[in-house]
Amino acid sequence: MQKYRLNWAAGITAARLLPEEKAVLADNGDKLYYDKLLIATGASSILPPVENIRRGRQVYGLRNIDDVSAIGAAENCRQAVIMGGGLVGIDAAAALSEKGLSVTVVEVADRILPLQLDKKAAARYEALFRDRGIEIITGEMVSKIVLDEKENVTGVQLKGGRLIPCSLVVAATGVKPEISFLEGTAIEVGRGIRVNEYQQTSYPDIYAAGDVCESVETFTGKITTTPIWPLAVMQGKVAGTNMAGVRRKAAGNFAYKNSMTFFGLAAVSFGLPEAPDSSYETYILDSPGSYEKIIIKDGRLKGAILQGDITRAGVLGALIREDYPVKAAPDKLFDLNYACFFHELENGEFTYQDEALTSR
Amino acid sequence: MKRIFIKPELCEGCKNCQVACLAEHSPSRSVWFVNLSDQGSQPRNFVELNNEGRPVPLSCRQCDEPECVNACVSGALQRDPATGLVVHNQKQCAGCWMCVMSCPYGMILPDARENKIAVKCDFCADRGTPRQSAL
Repeated sequence: MQKYRLNWAAGITAARLLPEEKAVLADNGDKLYYDKLLIATGASSILPPVENIRRGRQVYGLRNIDDVSAIGAAENCRQAVIMGGGLVGIDAAAALSEKGLSVTVVEVADRILPLQLDKKAAARYEALFRDRGIEIITGEMVSKIVLDEKENVTGVQLKGGRLIPCSLVVAATGVKPEISFLEGTAIEVGRGIRVNEYQQTSYPDIYAAGDVCESVETFTGKITTTPIWPLAVMQGKVAGTNMAGVRRKAAGNFAYKNSMTFFGLAAVSFGLPEAPDSSYETYILDSPGSYEKIIIKDGRLKGAILQGDITRAGVLGALIREDYPVKAAPDKLFDLNYACFFHELENGEFTYQDEALTSR
Repeated sequence: MKRIFIKPELCEGCKNCQVACLAEHSPSRSVWFVNLSDQGSQPRNFVELNNEGRPVPLSCRQCDEPECVNACVSGALQRDPATGLVVHNQKQCAGCWMCVMSCPYGMILPDARENKIAVKCDFCADRGTPRQSAL
């Protein structure tokens, strides 16, 4: 902090943005003036519209260290229900189970991790979780949090009618950009703060990066939030560079990638977990310790799942992100590695940008 | 920044560079005593076949803007501004595999023994010159 001459205004909250004055109003009444402003307020967890969810005293999101402390402090709990079987919910389930709690996960899709994995890869994790006594309920949702007269959680009621007793609920049903302090400004906002390829908002002196913003995502070509860590870092660097007066565009804004490891089983996935229609070809390599799936359309990779052996996963991710021709026969797909695309730059770095591609 | 330049047309696929890497990261550092049957004996460089079936030797480029470092949530991966090397602190690594997912060239991977932390080329950190390049 000293090296870069940074001032950290610890313990205060940015309450309101005053773009006409080029200032941020803090909750202690201070006004902090800026020449350039970066908004990097991230996202916060969503509580889904479920009866009693805001009244229940032992209902927690899982986003910040305070959430973790609060959940950890709920010591007397023996039974927990996790709403949502995504990465956050599944991580919470594994951790609480290891602490000795009896855990139930309720997921609305037909499998856990539906955005990251196909049915087969998800089933391997479901089996590992069930082996450890964690109950996984798919195709169901919580319709009501059951409370006692002091608003302590005593259970959840599922849509299908089943009542699950519990004294702790973790709501892991997604996040939303933290933009409440922008109220009253004309800054362009969709789901997140809209930014261009320089991470610049509709106000030229205001930039945004990370989970709080939305931008053109590489894989879909659509404007979406891009709530994964590597992109937050990349966007932050791009924003900072431009704010310091050096023009630089965001590159590789590819949000459809995830890595995970639960109970010793690793997985990495990119792009589509399932082929959406018959114009895609799907290739699968299935063995006891490992599962690999590759989805191709018109000679280009559109999705990949590696579970078990994740070595060289990044090559598949790069091929999807760069929309680079695979150039491999179907029987060689699972041997794809960077040797097939080797191209060294003058400074010794690698690249995928060969002549054919630059002339495209 | 120093890098090992690659001339794949000269590679005969002997994999001696991998043996050198294995030995360097073994307890004895000796080619004579390295235990090749140990599951944890894992080279951090690679000789892979390309689409024509020709061997290509590959190793971490110590990128100027390393994607593995951008992806590292725990801070275990850092680029040393003095040497330009991308350094991995194994004690800080949480084994989340974000780096494995992010390296476009597949040059960082889970450790073969326990599958708990990542391993990558350290440019033979305290040797001065990488051992594979002395061949």
